[in-house]
Amino acid sequence: MKNRIIFFLGSLMKFIAFTAFVYVVFIIGFGLFMPKVLSKNLSYKRGSNGHLFSRVNEINEYKNVDVLFLGSSHAYRGFDPRIFQKHGLKTFNLGSSAQTPIQTELLLNRYLDKLKPKLVVYEVYPGTFALDGVESALDIISNDENDSETIKMALELNNIKVYNTMIYGFFRDIFHLNKNYKEKIVKKYDTYVKGGFVERNSLYFKGFKSLKNKSDWEFKVEQFDAFKRNLDKLKAMNISYVLVQAPITSQLYKSHTNNEYFDNKMKTYGKYYNFNGKLNLVDSLHFYDEHHLNQKGVELFDDFLLKELPVLNKK
Amino acid sequence: MLFNSINFFIFLPIVFLLYWFVTNKKLVFQNGLLLVSSFFFYACWDWRFLFLLMFSILLDYITGIKMGEAKNKPEKKFWFWLSIIVNVGFLGVFKYYNFFAESLAESLSAIGLQTNFWTLKVILPVGISFYTFHGLSYVIDIYYDKIKPEKNFIDYAVFVSFFPLLVAGPIERATHLLPQIKKERKFDYDQAVNGLRQILWGLFKKVVIADNCAHFANIFFENPAQYSGSSLVLGALFFTFQIYGDFSGYSDIALGTARLFGIDLLRNFAFPYFSRDIAEFWRRWHISLSSWFKDYLYIPLGGSKGGTWMRVRNTFIIFLVSGFWHGANWTFIVWGLLNALYIMPSIIFNTHRNNMEIVAKGRVFPSVKEFLSILFTFGLTVFAWIFFRAESISAALDYIKRIFSKTLFTLPNIKVLADFEIIVCLLIFFISIEWLGRENRYAIEKIFSKSKWIRYSFYYIIILAIIILTGKSQEFIYFQF
Repeated sequence: MKNRIIFFLGSLMKFIAFTAFVYVVFIIGFGLFMPKVLSKNLSYKRGSNGHLFSRVNEINEYKNVDVLFLGSSHAYRGFDPRIFQKHGLKTFNLGSSAQTPIQTELLLNRYLDKLKPKLVVYEVYPGTFALDGVESALDIISNDENDSETIKMALELNNIKVYNTMIYGFFRDIFHLNKNYKEKIVKKYDTYVKGGFVERNSLYFKGFKSLKNKSDWEFKVEQFDAFKRNLDKLKAMNISYVLVQAPITSQLYKSHTNNEYFDNKMKTYGKYYNFNGKLNLVDSLHFYDEHHLNQKGVELFDDFLLKELPVLNKK
Repeated sequence: MLFNSINFFIFLPIVFLLYWFVTNKKLVFQNGLLLVSSFFFYACWDWRFLFLLMFSILLDYITGIKMGEAKNKPEKKFWFWLSIIVNVGFLGVFKYYNFFAESLAESLSAIGLQTNFWTLKVILPVGISFYTFHGLSYVIDIYYDKIKPEKNFIDYAVFVSFFPLLVAGPIERATHLLPQIKKERKFDYDQAVNGLRQILWGLFKKVVIADNCAHFANIFFENPAQYSGSSLVLGALFFTFQIYGDFSGYSDIALGTARLFGIDLLRNFAFPYFSRDIAEFWRRWHISLSSWFKDYLYIPLGGSKGGTWMRVRNTFIIFLVSGFWHGANWTFIVWGLLNALYIMPSIIFNTHRNNMEIVAKGRVFPSVKEFLSILFTFGLTVFAWIFFRAESISAALDYIKRIFSKTLFTLPNIKVLADFEIIVCLLIFFISIEWLGRENRYAIEKIFSKSKWIRYSFYYIIILAIIILTGKSQEFIYFQF
């Protein structure tokens, strides 16, 4: 009987090994030759919305920054390095689209030693604690060099789209297929600003098409676990941090009913500032969509931040 | 631990290797391993409910023995009813208490009496309906002297909690599964390969067919007011394939997994959407539950012995209970009653056993009559699924009202469905394979068995479809029951 089981396992192992080979070849072939419409579970978009490619390529020019900004698009569209520079602060913005704590962990592991910030301003939008992190993972895989951290993240997310894109990403990295790629500084309404910021000017939010239903954020435990690990890492390296919730349109903010719960939870992790309702921002004047400040809003927010956060004033 | 998760595909080989290489010396070790693995598997959801499962096992084990030792009928009856009341009581508290409390409060408020019943904030323990029915079938069989009580606790516990069937069936019978657990098992290469093949097909059904259809169905069911009648028909069709792919896919993985351990579980699906009438549909859909209700409810109620009226009454009762078994919501009850109405003509005119064999046996194509019968039965089923899927009766009625509006005769809005064409091609592929394999236990059991190369190419097509076309992961629908 044992022989039969060993024969079965042997056949199975051969089948699995060949399947793994076919899988890799197939994914590479799909990525290279198939039209996007057929690549449902492979999403490799170099130079995607958010200028992450330009941001990570710029990191080598930075070290020993005063302030490092982390977080979602609220961070890279909310903290303008030029404003902080006027106050003598050297900053870098490491935000990325829909960045959840799981991706923040990857970016910290990759770049914290290089940037050696004195202070981290960690933008915490409740929505990123309710996401699975797939969208942001695909953005990072497509726009940054992949390494063991990518594999770690993929295993944590455990999503077929992430695995497929990661395999294709490694293939492109290994064969330097992206070496001639240059990302445009200006893309439609967006302009990339040195230091990781993305500026969008002269656009105004026209309001929701229909009234948003009120709902609770459904937070994910694994995002809070990763968040805790990120803060522990900062603490271990003696880097001080503040947690900041950047302003969003009041309509969107009020459409979630457990904001207070989130605020209270954040306060347990350290110094936390929620700027929603703190500034005199008008949805239609200071935002270009429901989530993001336009440049006028950014200037107001960053000035207010500099005044409100004693830790920034000291410098 | 979901069947379609990486965790399961780490867990399964570990248990398999331990089972055939470490504990294979003695049956008691093998069963012990299955029990520990099953408890671990269950605890991965919520370890607190493991105690409830253990209690349920212990209760039925003890009452079973006590019934066997009873010196007289009243004593046997006492232990029997103790088990029934406690089992049904647990199910009632966890699954139905809030439903009854809220329904009563609503009824009283309708006649002007304002009441404030306590509702429980409890999570429904996963699989409670399934393992409770396992236990119930066991004690009922002992009570009616169909089986002897099981003395070996481990064997009995494995019968109830065997991990492939623990959370969503098939609902096993002691007469079928216990003898297999008590018998020494030898590794059978063909059975194991067959198991893997069934797992592969189950995975395809779940992650490619069901999860993609779920995404489309959700779009229409969540905002029916925004879509035309024809789009909502499309939504109902997608749900029809979602629920079949989801539940039969789960059952395929369960049956395939059990085969790797030398155990054959009851078949749960037999190509129900190829049925020519509703009676045939119910012999092919969730077979282990339908037969459970037939054996433990329909027959004890008198079955069809008392003439037409008795048959009609008993049929209504089992469909009502079956609907209610699915969940504490009026939608499931209406779904059950609707199916009872569908089946009624064949019960009254005694034609319910007309189609016992699979359609077009030995032929490639069905006759025109068979084809039209299949189409008609399928249409009835799709309509009934609207109640099953809707959040409430009023939501279901709104959905149906919108279907039967002028917009039914417009083109469906497929612009909102990303990859619509791909999913339709997948469904055509899926239906074709199911049709070709309908005379087997599962569709790909013997597919292309004459040519190894074609067979393996087919496996790779399925594997690559799983890799590249998997939909956004959705929880198995039947876990909530």
